[in-house]
Amino acid sequence: MARYGMALDYKNCINCKACEVACKEENGVELGAEKHRIWVGGNDPKGEWPLLDIASAAFLPSQCQQCEDAPCQEVCPTHATYYDENHVVRVDSEKCILCSYCMNACPYDARYVDDRTMTVDKCTFCSDTRLARGETTTACQNTCPTKVRTFGDLDDPNSEISELLRTREHFSLKAHLGTNPKLFYLT
Amino acid sequence: MKIGPLNIPLKEDFSLKSILGFEKTPLNMLIAVATLAMLAMFVIGVANYLVHGHEAYGVTRQHPWGLLIAVYIFFVVSSTGFCIVGSLGDVFGFKDFTMISKRAIFGSIVTILAGFAVIAFEIGHPVRMMIYNVISPGLTSAIWWMGTLYGLYLTFMIIEFYFLLNNDMKKAKIFGLTGLLVGLAAHSNLGGVFGFLNARTISNGVYYPTYFILTAFITGIYLSFIVMGFRYKLNFSDEKVKKLLEGLAKIQGLLISILIFFMTWKLLTDVYGGMPTRADVAHHMLHTGAFWTEVICAMLIPLAVILKDFGKSPVLMFWASLIGMVGIFFMRYNLVHDTQVKPLQMMKITEYQLPPEWIEYFPSATEIMIALGGLGLCILLYYVGTRAFNLDEEEGH
Repeated sequence: MARYGMALDYKNCINCKACEVACKEENGVELGAEKHRIWVGGNDPKGEWPLLDIASAAFLPSQCQQCEDAPCQEVCPTHATYYDENHVVRVDSEKCILCSYCMNACPYDARYVDDRTMTVDKCTFCSDTRLARGETTTACQNTCPTKVRTFGDLDDPNSEISELLRTREHFSLKAHLGTNPKLFYLT
Repeated sequence: MKIGPLNIPLKEDFSLKSILGFEKTPLNMLIAVATLAMLAMFVIGVANYLVHGHEAYGVTRQHPWGLLIAVYIFFVVSSTGFCIVGSLGDVFGFKDFTMISKRAIFGSIVTILAGFAVIAFEIGHPVRMMIYNVISPGLTSAIWWMGTLYGLYLTFMIIEFYFLLNNDMKKAKIFGLTGLLVGLAAHSNLGGVFGFLNARTISNGVYYPTYFILTAFITGIYLSFIVMGFRYKLNFSDEKVKKLLEGLAKIQGLLISILIFFMTWKLLTDVYGGMPTRADVAHHMLHTGAFWTEVICAMLIPLAVILKDFGKSPVLMFWASLIGMVGIFFMRYNLVHDTQVKPLQMMKITEYQLPPEWIEYFPSATEIMIALGGLGLCILLYYVGTRAFNLDEEEGH
């Protein structure tokens, strides 16, 4: 049993979107711009040439934040959203009734409807695919050319992610909501 | 009519002929044709949904709840409202209001059935819902409580109506009170569905669970004026009817005033301090026509009519109530839309995209057809009920 999390050295992101493609390919995510488990956010640089604010145009890779106190899990009327043995927030498509409450409750816009099963889908940290095959990385981490992502067991003090979180400053998205995300953005 | 041990007192002349035998006035014909058209739209809308799934709706990842959720809320609020009005007489013993009890309780049954008919085509898997609601209940979910309690509420309302039909007022009172309490719990849980959304600061908090009860009572009174208007063809010369409607109008004046007070403070606290994702959404709301339609139709026009002579113009109140119900529809639509109007993810995620600002949503033709179909179903069920049952107060009870 592990407690999986991910650290993102987001300032290394070059917005190549290889992670988005790898995720879709590995996990068989439905095609279409709205149907994505992970994404890279960006902003247009602020200011006027030549005084452009380069810092304002940083890229922010994102996905399900795998919250310890996930609002999506709390609001699910049928326990379709659950924590698996590795503390990964998952959706049991057999139980999902598609009431979409979880989509409204998730503060990170991390869920979407898979039209093939008419159920809600989200990032699983590749639990059904790569982890099930015994691999130790997620598709998005494996493909990243600038090594933005580090996936691993937060309960293992010797894991790379634990080492990173001990030695690098980091923050979580919308931490004030008390969701306790297991995605950490390294500064 | 006897079904096993049950005795359901149907009208003696109840038949298909009596259903079709309404007076063929232009207004009646118009209502009949409009109802049939709405039912036809329901069939077309549902067929389109069954073929295309949620693709047939205008809902998106960022705006997963659309018109059908608003219409479901509209109907269940109407049901709770009818239940509250019906309970005034047969549960709380206010004699002036007893004459509408049976009609209102029947109204509460048909409106919630219409609501269930609409939501069945919004929920992706309604049959699975009934199974997993029982074998895998999510007790921390407001939707679970709302759905389960509404199911119980409908059962109690049907039992209460049965006893009202049989003039067993003692048992009707017991089931009426239980149904009312379960209905209020269900309804405030519906408010809780929005109130529990920590991510949506505009809706988060205690406001909606309480406001839903208040607006349900208001909706119930508007609907009472409408059903009594049709029952008496706007001829309210009977003293008892006059007294009932005057009493309801006075209560309505008080309730609308409280609602305006609540809303004013809700908006002031939303805007005050400029808190991001709350103040900007409130400003956005204040600049939409839908919000002002809600305020003018659901509150200001009916309140002006009531204040004109303290509720002594029932005919005018009938028309104000029709306008009021249009306002109540916008109230539900605005609640659903404004909750989701602020994007949760404010960065561009595709090239050549403008940064997200406000989430756009407009219902698709399929959603509109199913929503109107719900209204058609509600009118049809109510009409058949008026032909099948004696919904008036019986003398000596």
